[in-house]
Amino acid sequence: MKPRLHVLWNETYCKRCLLCVEVCPVQVLSLERNEITEKEGCIRCYQCERYCPDIAIEVMDEKGKE
Amino acid sequence: MDRSYKDLLKLRRFPHTWCPGCGIGAVLKNVAMAVKELGWSDKNTVAVSGIGCSGRMSGYMNLDAVHTPHGRVLTSAETIKTIRPDLNVIVLSGDGDLTSIGGNHLLHTSRRNPDITVFCNDNEIYGLTGGQAGPTTPRGTKTITSPRGEPYSPLRLGHLLTQQAPYFYARTTVYHLNHFKKCIHEALVWKGFSFVDIVSDCIELNGRRLGFKTAHQMFKWFDERFHIVEGERDHLGENELGIARAVEEEVVPPAEKVEEKPEIPMASLKPFTLEELHRFDGTGGKPIYIAYKGKVYDLSSSPLFQGEKRMRCHIAGKDLTKDIDVAPHGEDLVFKFPAVGRLV
Ligand SMILES: Cc1ncc(C[n+]2csc(CCOP(=O)(O)OP(=O)(O)O)c2C)c(N)n1
Ligand code: SF4
Ligand code: SF4
Ligand code: SF4
Repeated sequence: MKPRLHVLWNETYCKRCLLCVEVCPVQVLSLERNEITEKEGCIRCYQCERYCPDIAIEVMDEKGKE
Repeated sequence: MDRSYKDLLKLRRFPHTWCPGCGIGAVLKNVAMAVKELGWSDKNTVAVSGIGCSGRMSGYMNLDAVHTPHGRVLTSAETIKTIRPDLNVIVLSGDGDLTSIGGNHLLHTSRRNPDITVFCNDNEIYGLTGGQAGPTTPRGTKTITSPRGEPYSPLRLGHLLTQQAPYFYARTTVYHLNHFKKCIHEALVWKGFSFVDIVSDCIELNGRRLGFKTAHQMFKWFDERFHIVEGERDHLGENELGIARAVEEEVVPPAEKVEEKPEIPMASLKPFTLEELHRFDGTGGKPIYIAYKGKVYDLSSSPLFQGEKRMRCHIAGKDLTKDIDVAPHGEDLVFKFPAVGRLV
């Protein structure tokens, strides 16, 4: 699991299908050099995690919560 | 975010076999979530799959799982449920497996209404074998076996599976996620045969030929084609997503007509002695009388006595009280005939 700003990305499970990139309502995710990367602005809506068919992306729990 | 559903998946076999963006992964994941939410586990739940890309689903479930011959998924599932009614039986399979080669089993398993839940990954194509048209392929779709467009209308599963109560038929898509989750949950808790028709994407062997570049583009197409209908429904229209269900129509047996024969007072009946009775044995065109418990009955209309002096062991013109009490039939047989006198 590779940590990004707000999400954890699983390099081995991920098939680079781009679903997470396309469902993100604020378009902070992208595929660069074959890796899912994240820029600032995540609103923690969980859409990427909910739609990923490969269980390859998880939104990090907010520090101190859960 | 509760991620405990992962216990139900064989993560050591991940990444799974399906193409990037294939909807089957979403079906597997969301079914696992719903099963976990209900508190079901490997102790009480079995997953059964047929053949096809979709048929690989049960193999990724951390449950007892059966991978059956092509088309026989429902027969296997129904057998398991019959032998072990305490188990929750879920079927994870494809539209080709369930409705084409397995179509006959679908008809008859749904008719018998066993308490099993079917999740049909309906990608409107045969995925595993290379993208041939199947019975769920929409008319006009170009596939490798229908390069000029599929000429036939697809099976209307929504009609087929709702033609006779009880039934549970839900249609949803992998894109309409909240609706999808609701349908899975409702189907799992439904008592009886429930079928969830999940419109899903085969991006590699169907989507690309249709001009879609990513799974998400196919999702947008599902969004254009289908809309959600709320509330309780008997049936779903062609492009409607929702749940159609009905419980068994109660069969009210028609009230039996009880013919009340007015009780004839003994004293008003004509008196017969045994000798007099003896004469009415049906010979020479005479009527057939017998006595039973002090009354004389006219059995002339009985088809069993016609033209005969005796019917098996019962002899006409006699007091048959003892005979009838030991006969295999009841006395009701006698009471059907008119009482004509009393024995003195
Ligand atoms: C008896 C038999 N006939 C044909 C096949 C070839 N076959 C394998 S999978 C398949 C179709 C599966 O389609 P579907 O259930 O829609 O699954 P998908 O691959 O689309 O998920 C066929 C025809 C077979 N394996 N066995
Ligand atoms: S949705 Fe999942 S599998 Fe697809 S690119 Fe994103 S992380 Fe990878
Ligand atoms: S949680 Fe929402 S906003 Fe954040 S990366 Fe995922 S989809 Fe985008
Ligand atoms: S061929 Fe189609 S159905 Fe099979 S895994 Fe690939 S996308 Fe999914």
